[in-house]
Amino acid sequence: MRLFCQQLGWELYRLFARRRTYIGFGIFLLVEIVFYLIWTRGGGARQLERMIERFAGGLDEYLSGLTLAFLMVAFTMLLLGVIFVSLIAGDILAKESEDGNLRLLLVRPISRFRLLLLKFLSCQIYTTTLFLFVAASSLFIGCLGQGWGGKMLVAAPDLPKVSLFDWWEGMGRYFFAILGFSVVYLPVIGIAFLLGSLRVKPATATIVTIAILIADRIMGKMPLEAFDPYRDYFITSRMDAWYLLLYQEIPWVSD
Amino acid sequence: MLSVESITKQFDRNRPPAVDDLSFSVEKGRICGLLGHNGAGKSTALGVVLGMVYPDAGGVTIDEVAVQHEREKAIAKVGAIFEAPAFYDYLSGWKNLKVLTSYSGGVSESEMMEMVEWVGLEERIHDRISKYSHGMRQRLALAQALLPRPELLILDEPTDGLDPEGIVEFREQVLELRDRLGLTVLLSSHLLSEVEQVCDEIVILQKGKKVYEGGVQDFGSDDVTFAIEAENSDALIFAWEKIGGRKVGDEFLISQDQNPSDCLAALVNEGVKVSRFTQQENSLESLYLQVSSGEKKEGKA
Repeated sequence: MRLFCQQLGWELYRLFARRRTYIGFGIFLLVEIVFYLIWTRGGGARQLERMIERFAGGLDEYLSGLTLAFLMVAFTMLLLGVIFVSLIAGDILAKESEDGNLRLLLVRPISRFRLLLLKFLSCQIYTTTLFLFVAASSLFIGCLGQGWGGKMLVAAPDLPKVSLFDWWEGMGRYFFAILGFSVVYLPVIGIAFLLGSLRVKPATATIVTIAILIADRIMGKMPLEAFDPYRDYFITSRMDAWYLLLYQEIPWVSD
Repeated sequence: MLSVESITKQFDRNRPPAVDDLSFSVEKGRICGLLGHNGAGKSTALGVVLGMVYPDAGGVTIDEVAVQHEREKAIAKVGAIFEAPAFYDYLSGWKNLKVLTSYSGGVSESEMMEMVEWVGLEERIHDRISKYSHGMRQRLALAQALLPRPELLILDEPTDGLDPEGIVEFREQVLELRDRLGLTVLLSSHLLSEVEQVCDEIVILQKGKKVYEGGVQDFGSDDVTFAIEAENSDALIFAWEKIGGRKVGDEFLISQDQNPSDCLAALVNEGVKVSRFTQQENSLESLYLQVSSGEKKEGKA
């Protein structure tokens, strides 16, 4: 187990040592800032204010850094999440195979299963770290603008009703939901990883993964009754499950 | 130490096997050269030896451990440079060694540094790989192959792209490894001179089949090789063949029971104006050309 953790540590070190990581994380941060500026200077803030007045009252309390952080995370990940994660997961095998790095590993006394497991797990941990980074930086930006404290309001198209939380409960729910959000990216990692293990160019694995998910999302949201019985089977429909962690009362499955 | 038993691998049903019923063995402390044209099956054979390619038939044992059944245990005794070594360019040489050795269970830093010093990279080991020359990468490849200490070293075209100085250095290092550590080495190369100077024995592959296996010192013992020049080369070849000689590449061969002086006299009698007639050491090149043209078969079955 110690050796496995050591190997996983080096896999993660390699992923994080790449310049792409810093550029990628920087772009996420930039998008968050742009979102915040547009939101506060444009009509977004007024729209949120109206929503808060309508559902919760107490504008000052609910227009908090936490409320804005949630919106920033949702927007940023919707825009870039799938692209970046599929790039990482599609690259990890296809690029190493193309560059010849994989050969140096395959001549080592390690089973292929273990090697693939290490790479897959490192992708998932990398994704979770990315989500936590986006969550923390969004919260920082939100608190910078709105100050520390207040309450949290969560409103999203997939939520049946608005959820309202106190500051610390909201904080807990926020990070809990972010962890859930990173876990629902498993299918994204899985598809890109699977495609990357075929003899394809790294870009192909990334592009095909994105194409599959876009097609899946469009079909899953198709406003046709014929699609209704199948809606739950679409990958992206399942990925929306992370919102459940932001319900006022989380609908845990009991059986 | 290494035993390859009747391995066959066919990638495409419509094509002949990449390796066809190949068997050979390398004893402990010996250096064996695997020779062949491009596409002769050398890399496939090495892939099977390393457990990276599954054979359709046959198997490989390393120190009595079957690669195809207990790959991890068998490969734990092997260090390899398999084709052009591709390191992680954005990491330093040291970090690359750390990453790679972690897959072999880890190696102490003192052992790593000792190896780095031996390959002469101690001053640049903390530089990024992207700043390394080809020769430095090759030295690092040798270092990673030797960590942790293997018993069998597999080298696939190790001097490809190296300058002459680098080739000589690499050759000396391989010989030192054999002499100092008693390493067994399987070396695949298309550089005949390299194989000739380093290897104790050779296996020549052609179209996936073994066409020769034997000691480097043994081959050609039944032939004598000459370098002959004459005004009219066609006439020279005609006359040479008339006296029972053969021409392989640029070399002229006769069997050992023929007298060279008689042969020269016979050429002159045939009217060939000979300007040079020099007996040569039998080179690996002549052997290689002989087996390639099907004139010579296995030195050892």
